Amino acid sequence: MSYTIPMGPYHPGLEEPYKLDMICEGETVRDAKLHIGFNFRGIEHLAETRNHVQVIALMERVCGICSFIHTLTLCSAMEKLTGLTPPPRAKYIRVIMAELERLHSHVLWAGIAAKLMGFKTMFMTCFALREQVMDLLQAISGNRVNYSMNRIGGVNRDIEDPQALLRMVEALEKEMLKTVIPIFTTSTTAISRCAGVGVLTHEKAVSLGVVGPVARASGVAQDLRKAAPYAAYEEMEFDVPVQPAGDVTARLLVRALEIMESCKILRQALTKLPPGELNAGESKISFITGTATARVEAPRGEVMYSVSWKEGSQKPARVHVRTPTFVNMPAIRFMVQEARLADTPLIQASIDPCYSCTDR
Amino acid sequence: MSLLETLPEKLGVADSWTETGGVHWLTLGPMGIRDLAKAMNAVQARFITITAIELPGEEGFRLEYHWDLDGNLLGFPFTLPGKSIDSIYDLCEAVDWIEREIHEGYAIDFIGREYDPLLLREGQRMGVNLRKEAE
Repeated sequence: MSYTIPMGPYHPGLEEPYKLDMICEGETVRDAKLHIGFNFRGIEHLAETRNHVQVIALMERVCGICSFIHTLTLCSAMEKLTGLTPPPRAKYIRVIMAELERLHSHVLWAGIAAKLMGFKTMFMTCFALREQVMDLLQAISGNRVNYSMNRIGGVNRDIEDPQALLRMVEALEKEMLKTVIPIFTTSTTAISRCAGVGVLTHEKAVSLGVVGPVARASGVAQDLRKAAPYAAYEEMEFDVPVQPAGDVTARLLVRALEIMESCKILRQALTKLPPGELNAGESKISFITGTATARVEAPRGEVMYSVSWKEGSQKPARVHVRTPTFVNMPAIRFMVQEARLADTPLIQASIDPCYSCTDR
Repeated sequence: MSLLETLPEKLGVADSWTETGGVHWLTLGPMGIRDLAKAMNAVQARFITITAIELPGEEGFRLEYHWDLDGNLLGFPFTLPGKSIDSIYDLCEAVDWIEREIHEGYAIDFIGREYDPLLLREGQRMGVNLRKEAE
């Protein structure tokens, strides 16, 4: 006999409201239905009522964790409509901020995953490390969450002492290598909760078009920083970690290895930060009629903005946002099929979902 | 020649790509969305999204379908004089949620599929969230 167990929209296993109706037989999940929309804010519609400055502040609030990435993608699209190119120093600062945000996101996720595994000490360790990353972000931007760093044609703030930041990144990297990565990859607690759990096969990952660490943990080697480089990524040397197993362990490993690659990129960008201007200047901004699109590799995967503008207008005609969780979340249905009911909070968390991004 | 360069010929289009705003655009002429989806599957392009744009007056809507081919962003515009277009859900599983979102936000019908509510709840009005003037 089958029965349905609802998880959410408000549940201790979920960080934000969404609902998973699980059809179970005994303790085994046979199928699931997902329900979103509990955070819907109509941001795309609101964007049509904002000018080119206000819309940046608005889109920064699509996501609390990837706020820099959203403004980077939006500004990159608007730069194509204004013909403004960010100066080299601004491109490097964008890379530094984007990688710090990836570190922040991945360490936050590791903490939440540890909590769901019942590994409270690790949760505390990860959140202490996250504070160090947020200290770095605050040192650069003055803010812990919404950084207000991007503008059309560059960035608003400089990195005045890259050597000081470099020392902080090295300390962070050392701690990651000493505690977080070894414990997550070798501890019995982590392995017993994650190995073989919530599998997304390579074929299903391709069919669903999943992105980011979820795709790379199912053997899909795609990363926009390599495939379609933006900002200064073309000048950075780094590897794209890929794991074939498709389970929670693979997603954990991909993110752990990406933390190390982000540190590698940060070291390069902070060491080679070129001198020069931060932006192209406000007085030059004028839009042409048309649609421009930009894509960026966010911590959770590809973000795409499509921006339409009419020449002479103060406001965009349309802003469409495709967030990574919007394409990753349908995969949860297939990950939980035949899983133990007790594993489902960890499985849904393993895609590092952002429900606010999805609803936007 | 790269796959990108040969693709217009495979799609039976005489024109080549127009690269603007970060997208390789191709207008398909008589080819329908379902044939395009089959062609994209054949070249193993990755579906990204559909952007719906409401046109002024009574002109209807434009749907811009996007795929990724080896890091290149492809765009195919389809103008809808009415409020419907064929669904490609049975050909491309990844399109499910965005077809449902556009259906709810703009009241556009994707012919040949059924919908579960996505952002809306059972019984709520379609086409209110994103249309400039809700009917």
